[in-house]
Amino acid sequence: MEKKLISIGFEGSANKIGIGIATLDGNILANPRSTYITPPGHGFLPRETAQHHLQNLTRLLRSALDEAGISPADIDCICYTKGPGMGAPLQVCAAAVRVLAKLWNKPLVGVNHCVAHIEMGRVVTGAEDPVVLYVSGGNTQVIAYSEGKYRIFGETIDIAVGNCLDRFARVLNLSNDPSPGYNIEQLAKKGEKFIDLPYVVKGMDVSFSGILSYIESIAPVKLESKECTEADLCYSLQETLFAMLVEITERAMAHCDTKDVLIVGGVGCNLRLQEMMKAMCAERGGRLYATDDRYCIDNGAMIAYTGLLAFAHGITTPLEESTFTQRFRTDEVHAIWREKSSPDVNNGSVNTIEEKTGS
Amino acid sequence: MEVIMAAVVSEACKDVASIASSGWDFSCDFEVDYGSEEHATIVHEALAVDQELQPDKVRRHTSVSDGKLIVRFEAVEARFLRASFSSFIDLVVLATKLIEEFSPQN
Repeated sequence: MEKKLISIGFEGSANKIGIGIATLDGNILANPRSTYITPPGHGFLPRETAQHHLQNLTRLLRSALDEAGISPADIDCICYTKGPGMGAPLQVCAAAVRVLAKLWNKPLVGVNHCVAHIEMGRVVTGAEDPVVLYVSGGNTQVIAYSEGKYRIFGETIDIAVGNCLDRFARVLNLSNDPSPGYNIEQLAKKGEKFIDLPYVVKGMDVSFSGILSYIESIAPVKLESKECTEADLCYSLQETLFAMLVEITERAMAHCDTKDVLIVGGVGCNLRLQEMMKAMCAERGGRLYATDDRYCIDNGAMIAYTGLLAFAHGITTPLEESTFTQRFRTDEVHAIWREKSSPDVNNGSVNTIEEKTGS
Repeated sequence: MEVIMAAVVSEACKDVASIASSGWDFSCDFEVDYGSEEHATIVHEALAVDQELQPDKVRRHTSVSDGKLIVRFEAVEARFLRASFSSFIDLVVLATKLIEEFSPQN
């Protein structure tokens, strides 16, 4: 019997560091993660976040290997997030995987963080070819696969939707534990009064920075005069932002003639967003695919699994090219594993076709 | 592997302000003795992939000799030297921890 391909993936592009172990059929053997949580009112900064990753990496690696019950010798390739993300945190994982690749004599695979979210979402939900809404603290994109690449149909022209929510949470001094977005979601459930906010959809794209500035300026005034509560503001902000996301997703569906939607990224575990999207999909006779916080939120397994897809099709990243990059667009990646006439699966005897995955 | 302690002790950082200014007035030299050519080479090769972000302000040169990682930083201002040195040391410590804990022979 042939041995299953196994990969280990390192994710550290933002305030979470995760190390996951996965097989090619999408089985997740281990997926420990640690989140850098800042005090209320504060965001996370690159240097401090990198320190958090440095302090947790070896512990997470040990627990991933133990939980999966494997030794380094069982691993076929080591995957890491090449980008996009914050430089200093990305560098921690990039440097670590290079050391391990030399130490264990294993090939490296650099992975695009956004593509990893999509592939993890697809394998966990079984969505075949959906329109993908990727929403997180750093990214907001509507994506669909076409001819070898994940094409971006619409995106934010300024800040990410999660960034808008996180920064509003700071205005209200909400806790960052487990995440500011989660605490906004809970508070929004108690909201009763809808406060009008700007609604900014520009064709296929969205803009959030003006909405944030507006709500930041009215919040202290309206709260002071008891015109509305914090819960009302959270509710109104969520309704406005999510309506915009549903609108551009629906427009992309019309373009692609696709009925199904997959939501990935940290904001994707927001149940109100899922509910709104589900209603839209139902009207079009389609289905919504979404995952919970284990797979929505950044994790190592999504990197391990996506890297393994590439590895199985002969892609590896030579050590001297195993850099990281803050900017790395979703549509730069050739998703070779999605092509129908792809070459035979690499069965462990590494037949390397080196492919550059961006600068 | 008692290397990392020895390394910290043997760190000889000297900010040298030379009078005949070539621009690269601040430098720092240090060595980490791994007692193993293989391990020193792993750290050297793993960390050499990332270039300094401001090559016009800081430059780093690393090499391996006799089981030791040999590092030299040069910078035009002390603050650039400090920033680059400290983030590099963080990664050297991480690499060393990984080697100590996850070497196949262990």
